[in-house]
Amino acid sequence: MDAGVRTLKTSEAASVLNVSPNTLRAWERRFGYPKPQRTAGKHRLYTHGEVAALRDALQEGLSISSAISRARESLSSDTSTLVGALQAFELDRADAAMEAALALRSVERSVQEVLLPSINEIGERHGFDSAPWAFAARWATDWLQRAQRMAPPPSRPAAILVGDATRDDLDPDALSLKALQLFAVRSGARVLVLPITGVAGLTEVLGAFAPQVVVIAGAHASDDDVARWAYRVRSASGALPMALYRRGGRADAARTTARILPDSAGEAHRVVLEVLDGRPRGVAAPADDHDMEQPDNSRQVRAS
Amino acid sequence: MIDRPRLVALPGYADRPRPDVHFCGHCGRPPLESDIQPSSRVCTRCGLGLIVAAPPDGAPTPADPFLLVDGQLAVCGVSRLAEELLMTKETDAVNGHIGDLLVPADVEIAGSDSLINQIIHAARGSGETHHVVLRPAREFGIRFWARISPCGPPKAALIVLADGRE
Repeated sequence: MDAGVRTLKTSEAASVLNVSPNTLRAWERRFGYPKPQRTAGKHRLYTHGEVAALRDALQEGLSISSAISRARESLSSDTSTLVGALQAFELDRADAAMEAALALRSVERSVQEVLLPSINEIGERHGFDSAPWAFAARWATDWLQRAQRMAPPPSRPAAILVGDATRDDLDPDALSLKALQLFAVRSGARVLVLPITGVAGLTEVLGAFAPQVVVIAGAHASDDDVARWAYRVRSASGALPMALYRRGGRADAARTTARILPDSAGEAHRVVLEVLDGRPRGVAAPADDHDMEQPDNSRQVRAS
Repeated sequence: MIDRPRLVALPGYADRPRPDVHFCGHCGRPPLESDIQPSSRVCTRCGLGLIVAAPPDGAPTPADPFLLVDGQLAVCGVSRLAEELLMTKETDAVNGHIGDLLVPADVEIAGSDSLINQIIHAARGSGETHHVVLRPAREFGIRFWARISPCGPPKAALIVLADGRE
């Protein structure tokens, strides 16, 4: 699905903009743009669309700030297009808006920067219990599932068990969970999502799946239900690392040993991968001197 | 020869006899030789500004705080020294109205119309350099001498702030 996304290394992006790689990194620090992805080796990887938009804006700009503002505006038009399509209930146009987004970004960034904000905007405008929200959420769920079907087969020995504590597909947290699931699958992990309310037969399923990390996602299920499910998981699979995702006010860092994941699906995915890789909390992935990853700012949870 | 009154074109901004002065929109320093008319306008000294040009009587020195404003009165650039002076960040100020940062402080001028007109004229590229007195929008008791002149590309108004010692 992101086969058409062209990416550039730091030196290539700098060359397109006719600046030095140091300048490009200085822009990232000061302006937060262009915002690179990271390779497995933690090297920066820029999307060509972002760099090209900035190059064009720089020709017409009076300052780097105003050029970046203009470049961002041109990219954010995808969000407006998607919101417009969903508000008009035009599914084909919504698909086309995502295709346009994918021409400039990776799947992960298209989901985080276009799909999820657009759906959230529909919810904010019409209410999260409205028919337009249901229409948009159903389309987004379908899109995320289609994207997942096109993901490559598992390529790493990583198995993530997700306890789904959301209400249903129309729960706003459900879309973030599906995004997290998509990102994990695309990174080569095996992911199994089970409802938090279903404990019957859990032992047999876990025996076959052999999870390495457990994520409990959503704020709808009660703490009692979550505790019951988590107990059965630990009974079957041992003391696996556990993380809470979008538990809202139910995730009290002072009362849990579970790791609390950031709300952003992309950030949460990064932290889950860190847990899978066995890195201690707060320790960033190894990186070279030039492309150093920012330290992990996710919350440190003290043992109860 | 026809002996009657006739209209004579006055020299405009584009016809100035003296060449414009180039400077970085962030650090205010003149560009390196290699920066003039390159394929990139990014200042190679600081890497955080674009090279713009202004008439010699309006261009800032590296010690002058200054702002760049477009014809819609939107702030398009704030120099490093202007960020310190006005206690703002360029990233916050850009696209905001100039009136959110600076307002006229000249008792001789009735309102803000004159300042707006001067900025608009400068941003059209046709204005001469004008001297005005301004103050920060939300502060009293502080005044800046300022000069407003055309700059670009693209066409915009350059507001150079000074403390009146010049």
